[in-house]
Amino acid sequence: MIARLAAFLVLLAAAAAFPLFAGKYPVTLLQEILIWGVFAMSLDLLMGYAGMVSFGHSAFFGVGGYVAALALTAYPGTLSALALPPLAAGLAALVIGFFSIRVSGVYFIMLTLAFSQMFYAVAFQAAWLGAEDGIVGVPRASVVGINLAQPMSFHLYLVALVALGALFLWRVVRSPFGHVLQGIHENESRMQAVGYAVNRYKLLAFVIAGMLAGVAGALYTQLVGSITPDAFLWTTSGEALLMVIIGGTGTLGGAVLGAGAFILLQSLVSSYTERWMLILGLTFILLVLFAPGGIVGALRGRVGLRA
Amino acid sequence: MNRMTRRTFLGATSMAAAGTAVGPWVLRAQAQGAPLKIGVVLPYTGVYAVLGESITQGMELVFARENWTVAGRKIEMIKEDDEMKPPVGIRKTEKLIDSDKVDILTGPVHSGILMGMRDKVHNSKTILIVSNAGADVISRERCSKWIFRTSFSNWQPNWPMGGWVAKNVAKEVFLVAPNYQAGKDMMNAFKETYLPAGGKVVAEDYPKLGETDYAPYLTKIKQSGAKAVYCFFSGSDAVNFVKQFDQFGLKQSIKLTGAGFLTEPDVLPAQGKSALGVITGHFYTPLLDNPVNKKFVADFKAKFGGKSPDGFAVQGYDTAEVIIRAVKAVNGNTQDKDKLVAAIAKTEFDSPRGRFRFDPKSHNVIQPFIYIREVREVAGGLNNVPIDKVADVTDPGTGCTLPA
Amino acid sequence: MPALPDLFAQALNGLSYGVLLFLLSVGLTLIFGMLDVVNLAHGSFYMLGAYAGLTLIATTGNFWLALVAAPLVVGGIGAVIERSCLRPLYRRQPLDQVLLTFGLIYLFEDLVKWIWGGRIRSIPAPDLFSGSVTVLGATVPSYRLFVIVFGLGMAVAVWLLIERTRLGSIIRAGVFDAEMTGGMGVNIHRVFTGVFAFGAALGGLSGVIAGPIQSAYPPMGASILIPALIVVVVGGLGSLKGSLVGSLIIGQAETFGKAWLPGASMLMIYLVMAAIVLLRPQGLFGRPLK
Repeated sequence: MIARLAAFLVLLAAAAAFPLFAGKYPVTLLQEILIWGVFAMSLDLLMGYAGMVSFGHSAFFGVGGYVAALALTAYPGTLSALALPPLAAGLAALVIGFFSIRVSGVYFIMLTLAFSQMFYAVAFQAAWLGAEDGIVGVPRASVVGINLAQPMSFHLYLVALVALGALFLWRVVRSPFGHVLQGIHENESRMQAVGYAVNRYKLLAFVIAGMLAGVAGALYTQLVGSITPDAFLWTTSGEALLMVIIGGTGTLGGAVLGAGAFILLQSLVSSYTERWMLILGLTFILLVLFAPGGIVGALRGRVGLRA
Repeated sequence: MNRMTRRTFLGATSMAAAGTAVGPWVLRAQAQGAPLKIGVVLPYTGVYAVLGESITQGMELVFARENWTVAGRKIEMIKEDDEMKPPVGIRKTEKLIDSDKVDILTGPVHSGILMGMRDKVHNSKTILIVSNAGADVISRERCSKWIFRTSFSNWQPNWPMGGWVAKNVAKEVFLVAPNYQAGKDMMNAFKETYLPAGGKVVAEDYPKLGETDYAPYLTKIKQSGAKAVYCFFSGSDAVNFVKQFDQFGLKQSIKLTGAGFLTEPDVLPAQGKSALGVITGHFYTPLLDNPVNKKFVADFKAKFGGKSPDGFAVQGYDTAEVIIRAVKAVNGNTQDKDKLVAAIAKTEFDSPRGRFRFDPKSHNVIQPFIYIREVREVAGGLNNVPIDKVADVTDPGTGCTLPA
Repeated sequence: MPALPDLFAQALNGLSYGVLLFLLSVGLTLIFGMLDVVNLAHGSFYMLGAYAGLTLIATTGNFWLALVAAPLVVGGIGAVIERSCLRPLYRRQPLDQVLLTFGLIYLFEDLVKWIWGGRIRSIPAPDLFSGSVTVLGATVPSYRLFVIVFGLGMAVAVWLLIERTRLGSIIRAGVFDAEMTGGMGVNIHRVFTGVFAFGAALGGLSGVIAGPIQSAYPPMGASILIPALIVVVVGGLGSLKGSLVGSLIIGQAETFGKAWLPGASMLMIYLVMAAIVLLRPQGLFGRPLK
């Protein structure tokens, strides 16, 4: 427990100090990995703990990103950067979740997919959302008195938010609420029989995950200064899903590792060879065959069964 | 990190200042040392990989001709796959600017990526030569001193077609384009000249991008009584639409016309005989009868295994030609970016498509001609045969004010 | 209100599109129903079928030969994949199958690009069906009429195979209880390989059939994956009848959506699926959820 907290703090410090000894591009890569890490962790709450595999998680990433873009363009400030995006994403998750939790398994996967594709269709066609080109030129505002136009302050702001998100999720999965979710995952009808309002728990998990995905989307908009309809596309959900599986489901930390592995593979390999898709595909296949449980599973195997 | 950046920044400027103070000697020495880095952001995977390939080949043809050196500097092309995904394209742009420190950036194909790159290059004062993406706003409200475009604005191939179709094909037309802003912009550009010429739009339809079954639209077109269809499609959409249009037997009664992408060589072989007789407007066809083009076509075929060049290859060729000429004009000194921008803006040469020059008002290419082309069977298979042309097509550039 | 001939013409369009959707999705349904595997790489089999068909037509000039041979090639690839990659995963969590089949999507897309290049291709319609005909005032390409007849014929043939043959009963028994069937002296591994190969071959077949209507290009598999999954879900997972009815419903809904509500063409298929899944959570013909 103490060791884990210490490891977390060391990693946090390393991430925060990264710009001091790395170039601008590696820093951007790290920032992207952290943002996708939050997004993947929020999906892991659903997949790994509540047993709800969603293929529409991009909806909340996109809502967060778009609301941040609209709000920051109109009223740059704390409210627009930090409060509105997760609220809007949470609201979207409440509506989508209300319908989707009625079904499970592949039906749940496809229903969430359908909703996210509807968001995509609207964003792609709505002129007031910039249609297919999305919203560009989003400023980095001053948030709680810190001017984020400053690269280092933006980096620290991002690392701090990611850390808070991770801590929050960690608390959630270890709370009684988190135990109920895992209970639902293991045996839904038993939890129902014992008297838990299963659907209410599932919906709450869905909304929490949606809000965090919204935070990730908002951070992404602030990082690149723009957001496009692709954020809503099923491939965005699919990539997050892959990150979670690669890292190891139900581990939270694995989601961040998976995000790192995926983005590094995609960005670095594709700079060297046109055949990067082949390499990525083979990596997935070998990983699933020889490293069940993802990166975290493999690490645990190596370290022994202590973890 | 900030201190670091500031220091390197100061170092760079003081070195440049020293260079100008001491004179051409130092400049030359410095220039010979550093390669000219050209960052290329294009799709090399996915449906549009063939476009990325053609554009790249066009560039490589010019650089190979120059033995990969310009003004004493080695040319280094750093190619990055943007996968046609804005987040990836923007990430790669940042890599090229921040990590590789490229002298000049070119690309992309996707307008959304261009819009995302726009502020990055504008704020970092990186010179970007757009080699495909046609978003009109880049020559209008969101133009930038640092951005040039050698390809086209979406408005350009469509605007001349309205008047031409009204005069030569039919006064009643059915408009079809994918349901996105670029598609609608192109149809509007067509209407700008079609309606004043007495044309009437019977109906318009906007199928989704990536549609695979156009049957419902084709049935509507047949029932509409239109004498012609004007459309914009590219990639697999263009293949599916042209083939299905023919399979539904519409070709006999309704003339199919459109923006040039409809029958470019990337899709024409897959369309096959279904494309015969289709009339399109575009800034290029490999059949143009001018000496530069004849040499270009011959060299291109020789270098790339008999592949016939397309408009995309010309975009790459002209992009590279602009770079070579401008870098020569500043004697290889790419540090003084204002001078380099001025040199690029002034670049003028004979391109395979005609006399190439930029519009000083918007930094967008002035199309020497939009050629009206008909798909016919000629020696070597199907090709876009030029049958008419409209000269000097300049994007209106509304809302663009570049600093002098 | 549109005239009656228009209605008929559009209904016919919807039918041909629906039957094509059925052909695209039937292999996916089978693999899901029999092996409980969501094969996200089904689109890759479709793509491999189209490209194998292209090459066979280019070398032999015979569409019908390609229609038979290309699915065999793809079925063979499917068998190899099942034995080498999928078999170790049956007892693992389903997410491992997601990762595996995602990996296959990337792998095959790049392999196809490597072998055939990235250029868009298409399969010409066989000479016999290259024109168009008029049926009760509606113009239809004769190839689409062929697809309708062929697709419905395939539906009957697959149904007969599963429900009315000894092989079919072994497969159904194996799905119901693999261990018991194994105990009865049936090599259950071989049955599973066979089912997966058959599903893959059906995917390959749809690639050849769709070739003259749609174009072939490396990421084509990804673009049909979603519609195929939707059909399977609407019909009810693993239900052959459901996947036929689901295809026909989606085909009509999409066609009339495009004709009458052009602004909603991107949304239509998702709206239909969401409505059906919400009203009948197990799909039209799926086993009721526990």
